[in-house]
Amino acid sequence: MARMLKFNIFRYNPQDPNSVPHMQAYTIDETESMTLFIVLNRLREEQDPSLQFDFSCRAGICGACGMVINGRPGLACHTKTKDLPEEITLMPLPIFKLMGDLSVDTGTWFRAMYKKIESWCHTKKVFDPAAQEERMDNAVAEAIYELDRCVECGCCVAACGTALMREDFLGATTLNRVARFMLDPRDERTEKEYFDIIGTDEGIFGCMGLLACQDVCPKYLPLQDVLGKLRKKMAFAAVNNILPSFLRKDIKL
Amino acid sequence: MSVPSTATHEGLPVGKLSAYFDWLQMLTGAALILFMWCHLILVSSILLGPGVMNALAWFFEVTYMAQVGGPLIFLAFLLHFVLAARKIPFATGQQRLMLANAKRMRHTDTWLWVIQATTAMGILIMGGIHMWVVLTNLPITAEKSAARIQTGFWFVFYLFLLPMVELHVGIGFYRILVKWGFLDRPGRWVIKKKENLLTGIFIAIGLLSLLRYYFLPLK
Repeated sequence: MARMLKFNIFRYNPQDPNSVPHMQAYTIDETESMTLFIVLNRLREEQDPSLQFDFSCRAGICGACGMVINGRPGLACHTKTKDLPEEITLMPLPIFKLMGDLSVDTGTWFRAMYKKIESWCHTKKVFDPAAQEERMDNAVAEAIYELDRCVECGCCVAACGTALMREDFLGATTLNRVARFMLDPRDERTEKEYFDIIGTDEGIFGCMGLLACQDVCPKYLPLQDVLGKLRKKMAFAAVNNILPSFLRKDIKL
Repeated sequence: MSVPSTATHEGLPVGKLSAYFDWLQMLTGAALILFMWCHLILVSSILLGPGVMNALAWFFEVTYMAQVGGPLIFLAFLLHFVLAARKIPFATGQQRLMLANAKRMRHTDTWLWVIQATTAMGILIMGGIHMWVVLTNLPITAEKSAARIQTGFWFVFYLFLLPMVELHVGIGFYRILVKWGFLDRPGRWVIKKKENLLTGIFIAIGLLSLLRYYFLPLK
């Protein structure tokens, strides 16, 4: 028999001076292969047209429907109700600016962080639109793509104790983005230049290794590996010049 | 080439201090973990008999390892605290955020960090007291240790200090491995299980040793 699901959903509209943050309860019948994305759309269509939440692709690609599901950040479209208990609590992602109810503005946060790390290919080569694109080794392209799969949903940031305590902390997604450029042969930045961006307590040395980022990432990015290698790479970059030659290490990502 | 519309890091020198501190925090931590494992083996030698423990203590005394090593460990202990405390929240607001996050997420590794940070405070005070009492009363002998523990107060004192140290050391060992990329993702779960087992065994050996000291007949 189909379950009746009870949803407790955070409601607050910062645009409305009379709005007070509160939890609102809804009940809905469970259907086969139901995702939270389906639930939210049905709730809005059938019960409450004022309910605010974000979505675009419905397939875990756009990263818009990140929210806190029974305490853990995740994507609504990726989460099936059959994997959840009958009572489900939905909250907006912390850290990001609240637009209303479950909708947050991740864009402003990501833009600010990407400006900090200069998230683009740094090259002195002048672009020639007539020339053939330079070839890249397949293994390198795949390694870059593995990290580029990030959909910028913000779940890793919302789950990170360090990011919650310190708003200047870059977070796993931003550090993963730096690693992506380190792998990219088209980016001509030196190790020293990368160190200047992330070799700080706001960067890789601020990470306390709680690994919540790894455990909540809906795209299963190898964040544990990336953060570990970045720490080692930056740590050795700082001391290689004072270490005897047999102890020096150039860490590859 | 893109021109950034806001000021960037370029031209601003970024020091290496964060990197040096992170190295030192890890190295002092690793040294203290090794020391604590050796320490437990030495202390638990009482289980083999007071003679074995006295012989080991005598060896560390005549080689001056106790007189020189002891204060050095104390210094590493203080340095490790100062370095690691840079990451521990002391403001109430931050502490509440961290606790609320661990509770909300029911995330083991975040809870492990909370345990690590909490035990750190206990170890700072109680470990400091323990080291002061032992190092100002050298040489170490089985009889002196037993006499101290049999006062009752010190027995209870160590009943608190022992699990705090073992938890802190065990979690610290695991965290160094994951933070510094020594483990891949599957390896993390394997080590975690082994580490929990090791911590349990160490606490058990420590408890047995404490009981042995408590019931050791004093001459």
